[in-house]
Amino acid sequence: MKNPATLPGRILWNAFFWTYERATWQYDVMVIAILAFVWLTPPDWLHDPTASGAGPIGWLLEQLR
Amino acid sequence: MTFTGLVGRIFMFPLRLIINFCVALKIHPNTLTFIGVLVNIAAAFELAAGTDHFIHAGVIMVIANIFDFIDGKVAHESNAVSAFGGFWDSVVDRFSDIALFLGLIYLYSHLGRTDYAMVAAIAMMFVIMTSYTRARAESLIKKCKVGFMERPERIVLFMIGAFTNRMAAVLWVIGVLSVFTVADRIIYTYRELRETEQAIA
Repeated sequence: MKNPATLPGRILWNAFFWTYERATWQYDVMVIAILAFVWLTPPDWLHDPTASGAGPIGWLLEQLR
Repeated sequence: MTFTGLVGRIFMFPLRLIINFCVALKIHPNTLTFIGVLVNIAAAFELAAGTDHFIHAGVIMVIANIFDFIDGKVAHESNAVSAFGGFWDSVVDRFSDIALFLGLIYLYSHLGRTDYAMVAAIAMMFVIMTSYTRARAESLIKKCKVGFMERPERIVLFMIGAFTNRMAAVLWVIGVLSVFTVADRIIYTYRELRETEQAIA
């Protein structure tokens, strides 16, 4: 299987079909992306059974309105 | 140095003290492995008890995973490395993984949230398959260490989910990335075996 030709395609491909070691810059980027998803996604968007509220993104959107 | 490398080094300092302590006390690494699974089961009960107990669950998971982490290092430093130790560690780790998911499945069922009970169950299935695909692949090829979502990543995510009450997001991350890890391992094994067959032919 060949990697996709476009840059966004290659980034997604390498993120999902992961071959990097821990403590590399690629690993750091993946960890930051995961933490951003976990902490910034409003629990209401995921219908979280144990948490509620709009979270930081919801707060930001509220301020921008 | 990378950010995750720095975090690893910081946490390694207290862990080194615990490892030296266990080696000095001559605690058998298989005992540490077994204590780890028992503590993880306690964490699962705390998860099942509800959101008010998530912080307790997080603290217990930290303790459990200290045992999980140091057993191999203690085995190495006390010259107690054995084939059975490696097998025992792998098997007991699966019990620990499943226990935490069962805690969440119980909690979501209790809350009447069958949707999230299913999300947790499917994530659990792919977590088990992540380990199985690698173990089975490495009976056919030399190494199959591909895919992001391995046990250390899962453990840290579970702790983050418990401490910050973001377990739903954590389950989605574990579930989706475990699916890709399993797919990655199947494709990698297929390619490696095909290359070997072509080289022979």
